[in-house]
Amino acid sequence: MREKQNSGQVLLIAAFIMALLLLSAELYIFDVGKIMYEVELNSLTDFVLAVKIGSRHVVVGSLANVSNGGSSSVLEWNLQNWSSLIGEQYQFGKSVLDYTLEETSPYSSGIWIDWGTNGLGLSSAYANFTCKLLGRENNLNQSYFINVTTMLLIESAFSTIQENDKQINVTINLLNDGNPALAGQITVYYNDQQGNWLIPNETSNNYTISDYGNGTYLASFVASISGQNVEVSAQVIDQREIYVQSNATSTEI
Amino acid sequence: MFDNRGQTRIIEAFLAIAVVFSALIISAVTFPSSPTLTKQKSLASLGMQALIELDVNGTLGKLVAQENWIAIKQSLDVVLPIGVSFNLTVYDENLIQLNSQVIQNTNLLGRETVSVQYFCASQSQNIQFFTLRMQLAWTR
Repeated sequence: MREKQNSGQVLLIAAFIMALLLLSAELYIFDVGKIMYEVELNSLTDFVLAVKIGSRHVVVGSLANVSNGGSSSVLEWNLQNWSSLIGEQYQFGKSVLDYTLEETSPYSSGIWIDWGTNGLGLSSAYANFTCKLLGRENNLNQSYFINVTTMLLIESAFSTIQENDKQINVTINLLNDGNPALAGQITVYYNDQQGNWLIPNETSNNYTISDYGNGTYLASFVASISGQNVEVSAQVIDQREIYVQSNATSTEI
Repeated sequence: MFDNRGQTRIIEAFLAIAVVFSALIISAVTFPSSPTLTKQKSLASLGMQALIELDVNGTLGKLVAQENWIAIKQSLDVVLPIGVSFNLTVYDENLIQLNSQVIQNTNLLGRETVSVQYFCASQSQNIQFFTLRMQLAWTR
């Protein structure tokens, strides 16, 4: 009788041990599975981030092309190629990048170019994206938009030195997506009132340009212009190669 | 008689404890530990983050378009932590290899590597698309 009781206890303990082993194995598998899930989710998030960065480069590059005289269909063409490249990747599963170009006025085919005569010049591109990623364990569906805008603001003032000779100052402000930005190239023009737009010369016009380092530039020059109507223009290429221009009428001080 | 029965139970209890602990020790040694797996996966994440960091302001696409492989290698040396080896291969959109020279800091032969793939567009008027494949390994 006593031996039977002991044997029952051993069996009970053995059962507990077995249960513990099974439980620990399950726990281990669950833990590894959880890590794999988190790792894959992080990888997918990184992938979507990379797609967003690439999409931005495509929109910036396309706007640079269009603003420098390229066809307005360049944006559509480039996005199509980018979307196709993304669709060919299967590292994390099936990926699809859909896009639509902004058509709401003033945009047309995702592009808005407004180089005004009131001191404001604007080159802008806008596209909406949906990135779908059908992973092995996770799915991601993320929508985002990319709006790239280069804005140029110019103000001008002049004072008469003698007769037709005028000292002209042009203040140029450049903004990239609403933030002050440095220019890559600035060309200032003035209208000689005989139908010619001339670039002020460093020596004959005492042309100087000051860079304040915060997207603000001050161009100063002397020009012989008859009358009191002084028109100036600035053509700027920002550091993203996006071109923008603006004209303004100078006010006498 | 009662004393013997008590001793047997104590011995059984000790035996049970010994079995449980030995099972735990064996499982810890035998199964690959999850931190190792995480370490390998974090290596891939490091590689992806490094490429993202270089690409976020358009530097990566610009350097690839210029075929400035030395600058890419130097940039990756700066961005990746010490102790990480890499080997980068750059392809165009038709998957034709572009880099004429090897872009790596140390030889990866014999090391356990992970691979990341990155798509990149150059931020220029004439946009070019590239596929970058980077192999990474811990050096120690």
